Amino acid sequence: MTNNTNGQTAIQAHNMNVYYGSFRAVENINLNVAPRQITALIGPSGCGKSTVLRSFNRMNDLIPSARVEGEVLYHGANIYAPDVDPVEIRRRIGMVFQKPNPFPKSIYDNVAWGAKINGYKGDMDELVESSLRQAALWDEVKDKLDQSGFSLSGGQQQRLCIARTLAVKPDIILMDEPTSALDPVATLKIEDLIQILKQDYTIIIVTHNMQQAARASDFTAFFNMNEERAGYLVEFNKTEDLFTNPKNELTERYITGRFG
Amino acid sequence: MNTTRNTQFTPNLDARHRRGFIWRILFMAALMTALVVLVALMFSIANDSFGYVVVINKIDPERLALNVINERLLTMPNTQSSADDTALAESITSDPNGIGFFGSAAYQQNRDALKPVAVDGITPDRETAVSQEYPLTRPLYLYTTGDILAQNQAANVFLNYLITHANEATEAAGYLPASEADLAQAQQNWLQANPTLPIPPGTWPAINPDGIDGRLTISGSSTLYPLTEQMLAQLAEAGFRAEVSNENAGSTAGLAAFCRGEADIAAASRPIQSDEIELCRENGRFPQEYPIAADALTIVANPALAFLDNVSQAELAQIFAEAETWQEINPAWPAAPIHRYIPGADSGTLDFFAQQVIQQELAALPTDDLVRILAANISVGRGRALEREQRFYQDKLVFDNPTAWNEACSQPKGARPSGCTAPPRTQAEIYDLVLQEVVQPDVVETFPLYDTLLKGAAIQHQMAAKYPNGSLQFRSWLTKDFITDPQSSTPEAAGVRTAILGSLWVIAITILFSFPVGVGAAVYLEEYAADNKLNRILQTNINNLAGVPSIIYGMLGLAIFVRALEMITSGALFGLVDSTASANGRTILSAGFTLGLLILPLIIINAQEAIRAVPTSLRQASLALGATQWQTTWHHVLPAALPGILTGAILAVSRALGETAPLVIIGASTFIVVDPSGPFSKFTTLPIQIYQWTARPQAEFRNIAAAAIIVLLVLLLALNATAVYLRNKYSTRM
Ligand SMILES: Nc1ncnc2c1ncn2[C@@H]1O[C@H](COP(=O)(O)OP(=O)(O)O)[C@@H](O)[C@H]1O
Ligand SMILES: [Mg+2]
Repeated sequence: MTNNTNGQTAIQAHNMNVYYGSFRAVENINLNVAPRQITALIGPSGCGKSTVLRSFNRMNDLIPSARVEGEVLYHGANIYAPDVDPVEIRRRIGMVFQKPNPFPKSIYDNVAWGAKINGYKGDMDELVESSLRQAALWDEVKDKLDQSGFSLSGGQQQRLCIARTLAVKPDIILMDEPTSALDPVATLKIEDLIQILKQDYTIIIVTHNMQQAARASDFTAFFNMNEERAGYLVEFNKTEDLFTNPKNELTERYITGRFG
Repeated sequence: MNTTRNTQFTPNLDARHRRGFIWRILFMAALMTALVVLVALMFSIANDSFGYVVVINKIDPERLALNVINERLLTMPNTQSSADDTALAESITSDPNGIGFFGSAAYQQNRDALKPVAVDGITPDRETAVSQEYPLTRPLYLYTTGDILAQNQAANVFLNYLITHANEATEAAGYLPASEADLAQAQQNWLQANPTLPIPPGTWPAINPDGIDGRLTISGSSTLYPLTEQMLAQLAEAGFRAEVSNENAGSTAGLAAFCRGEADIAAASRPIQSDEIELCRENGRFPQEYPIAADALTIVANPALAFLDNVSQAELAQIFAEAETWQEINPAWPAAPIHRYIPGADSGTLDFFAQQVIQQELAALPTDDLVRILAANISVGRGRALEREQRFYQDKLVFDNPTAWNEACSQPKGARPSGCTAPPRTQAEIYDLVLQEVVQPDVVETFPLYDTLLKGAAIQHQMAAKYPNGSLQFRSWLTKDFITDPQSSTPEAAGVRTAILGSLWVIAITILFSFPVGVGAAVYLEEYAADNKLNRILQTNINNLAGVPSIIYGMLGLAIFVRALEMITSGALFGLVDSTASANGRTILSAGFTLGLLILPLIIINAQEAIRAVPTSLRQASLALGATQWQTTWHHVLPAALPGILTGAILAVSRALGETAPLVIIGASTFIVVDPSGPFSKFTTLPIQIYQWTARPQAEFRNIAAAAIIVLLVLLLALNATAVYLRNKYSTRM
């Protein structure tokens, strides 16, 4: 089993295989994600990074042909056990997508809606403000909370989506290439934000940008594809170690840009 | 330079642009075709909805109003009437409170004993009359026909002589001369009746009356009597030997005699009226008008009435139609009673006075007069039926007797006539009733808008000749009454209220049934149903159902809703059978469900399309926050899909609103005048109504069918506008 080095676990994949119909997309993944750390998933396009990420909060359930074998342990319990409600899993393990996808609602409602449907009892205005502050968006939108979420720039929309996720108080935030649709300035802002969020949240981020992984993560998992195009975990280590001292030759070739 | 690279390309830009241009032209042509079709459609509807009509009234409404006013004049206290102007003059002369009126000739004969009264400050004399300054000036007419002149040489020569010498004689006899135009008209008419005379155009042949014999009968106005008498005397002197009868009977009586064929020539101090023309036509007579002199109706008083030099027309009206004493009119005048001496009911002079001075149109008559007209012209039975429908007075009955009324009104609620509780008819409603029951306007000819606009003058000409008593009007068949009136078997009285209400009720049921069911099914298919064989079969079936001909849905509706579920659709199960209907399933509910079934596939398919168009990222965003499938659907998918769903629903409902075939099958009523009162009522709808009207042989039904089409289109537009409004409201809510 591939472990992070400090021994603690936020979420853990155990002998996980994901299939789309009869096609095995990822093979035998064992991954132990450390709490309150940033874990980056890197690898060539199509190697199953998104697939693995979606397995962590059962978003794969939305794809009719998808099927997960093995276990994903969260607080020691398999989230794919029959008595587990995926709705509850997804509240605890939030997700931010590649393209910003705010609701066609006001900025305020974008943040409040998730909390409202999850039965939030506290002061909603306070929650909206604190979520937006955590997402480093408050100062930019505090005067136009009733405007549409679409009226914001791309980077702001992505931070709004993060604020929306924070408002339901998750443990873990999954991010699938959250900056790939953004310009460099907005990208840096998000990276800074992630650094701050790490104090309270476990973050797993997929990125195709090696610098980003090197800059912004604590741990990095490198995936590759085998001959049947099934993704597998090549190497998982502290980011520092993985980038300076890769154990696997494939990893080295990948991070030096000689393949992928 | 790099020639090899260039030889590999043959850009052929011109040909590519040309091809694009041709396609552009073709697309534009397609759009033009669509536009032309649309315009042609609109025009063909408007063509039948508007245009000239020729209306013939069974009874002239002006005549009705005049009769009422004449009656009022004749029944005033201290009023005596006589057809003989000399007798009137004598009575006024001998009565110190006497006042009256007659033609200026009669006044001239009695001018020494009588005092003329100026009207509005103007005394009647030659000058004020010719200039029309004097308000009571009028032309005088003779009426005869071209046939009579051709066959009766005595009448022909008499009229020729009269036209030749009229203006010399009139002044001698105290008349005013006819205007040039009037005289030219008279000459024209006479020449038309004598087409074989060899005379150069523009000249007037004066015929020598010497030795002419035969028979000549003249009847009519007392005003004209002195003139005709004098002319006959002059003719006799000139050697006219015909046997003559000249009767002083009054204009109305004279015209009646003429139309019945009892007189050759009628003398009238007013123009002939449409009902008189109709009487003439029935007897094969086509009257020609000869204006041959003018008259100033003169108000005369006993010289003892020293204060009475000048009166206004308003005061005149009061003197003859309202007041009992002079003082009532003017406090400065004495309290003595007014003694009136006026021409009789058959007199054109009385008509003229009534028309000119009292001036009241039928529509403006008070309720009492209108009710009196009704009572005089309809049967008691009909009157009683109308009264039970809605009474004429709150506090009295006109046709019914109180015992029968009370008995009818003491019946239980459903069975008692509506008149027991409904408020009494208003003046306007009674006027409408008089029009319908008494005047009975009948459209005898209609013209489409196209002809009306382009051949208006020709139509006016032809119709004036064909229907001298008819009136040519521009008619819009689409009127307020057309929308608010119920169905009727006469096209002029028919309206679409029942059909509009029927359509609205049916469509309401259709929407209530098909919208929730259709959208629900679409949501299930798109958001919940697994992609398995059963659901694929279901989907294919729905797609195919959308193409099934509507008549088949009609048969389905007949079998299920009308027959099998009759207990429910007739309302019998709930004890709600409509009082106007026998319990069967041919109700609004059945129709609404049938149309609902018809458009259900359309709504489902459109809603599915709209739901499918909602981006997956929206669903993901919602689910990733820990929302359930239902919360995601309700809060995000449906609102995002709603504009598309509504667009589809609009099209579907529009189709249902215009459907005829299935409703014919499930038995929409063909003739129904009762408004639908609920889902269990019998009904008809606009398309059914239009369909039935177009099947009728009379042309007017085509006109009202076109008008009903406009109503249907407006209804459709209104419905669509509402839906578009709703759609915009929802899609702007971010
Ligand atoms: N919804 C899906 N249905 C079928 N195959 C899929 C689906 N999503 C991804 N795949 C396949 O799974 C493999 C991994 O895809 P993905 O996880 O998106 O890779 P990455 O995010 O690393 O680029 C690819 O071969 C892709 O074609
Ligand atoms: Mg991916």
